Amino acid sequence: MDEQLAQARAGNLGAFGTLVQAHKRSVYSLALRMVGQPELAEDMAQEVFMQLHANLRSIQSADHLAFWLRKVTAHRVIDYLRRRPAVSITSLDEEAEQIGSPDPGDPLLQRHLRQLVLGLPPDARAVVTLRYQEDLDPLDIARTLDMSINTVKSHLKRSLDLMRQRIENGELPRREGQSP
Amino acid sequence: MTDDLESKLRDALRPAAPSEDFDRRLLARLTAAQSEPVMRRGRFASRTTWWFSAAMAATVILAVGVQHHRAVEENREKGLEARRQVMQALRVTNDKLDLAYRAVREQSSMSGGNPGA
Repeated sequence: MDEQLAQARAGNLGAFGTLVQAHKRSVYSLALRMVGQPELAEDMAQEVFMQLHANLRSIQSADHLAFWLRKVTAHRVIDYLRRRPAVSITSLDEEAEQIGSPDPGDPLLQRHLRQLVLGLPPDARAVVTLRYQEDLDPLDIARTLDMSINTVKSHLKRSLDLMRQRIENGELPRREGQSP
Repeated sequence: MTDDLESKLRDALRPAAPSEDFDRRLLARLTAAQSEPVMRRGRFASRTTWWFSAAMAATVILAVGVQHHRAVEENREKGLEARRQVMQALRVTNDKLDLAYRAVREQSSMSGGNPGA
């Protein structure tokens, strides 16, 4: 990967394409789980890769690349969410994407959990997504989001408590068109 | 359910793939972004050409204006000179006539005649 990075830095678009292939799922999914809209998430992921292409010289290694992509994506989405009113909508496109993917668990439950994540404030949403999608530990999340580790742990604990409480209270979001 | 919430979250938040044309669209955007500086250079070149043409036009207009001004001044000088010469000629003629008149009067007074008669 470091070789691909060096070639991409030298202007090789094919090598840059390989880097995109390796990281597009992570970048796109991070945006998708935080905004809940596939088209918007794709636009954001593309913007992130455009930004990467313009900043390739500042990327020092493959590890740094993964860190940089997570950091830029998370901050971009948080900025977007802070500017826009909170809307926790799972579009029909995402529904189709989820149904179409090989999924060992309960699709309805998973959709409800994603809705619960989308109901969290932007910072907490980023922390939870980086923790459970990217499997980062709190220290790496703190570095990625420029937060203290205590803030990350606090976001995690409060978010999990809130989600548990909502599940126990039966506050699972309803599917569109379902009667109360 | 709440006991294994974390493992359920891991399942729910598994990475998903973007659409199939993601790479193609990104490549198209990158290519467009890379050609943008060339277009900017083109715009810069046409702007430079415009400024050069405008400067040339201004220089030509200025030169024509100066030349016209010089011609007008020259004509004015010539007119003044002609006027001065005419005035000089009139003065000379007047002096000569005056001189002739005086001579005639002196001659008449010496002969006792009336020069006006």
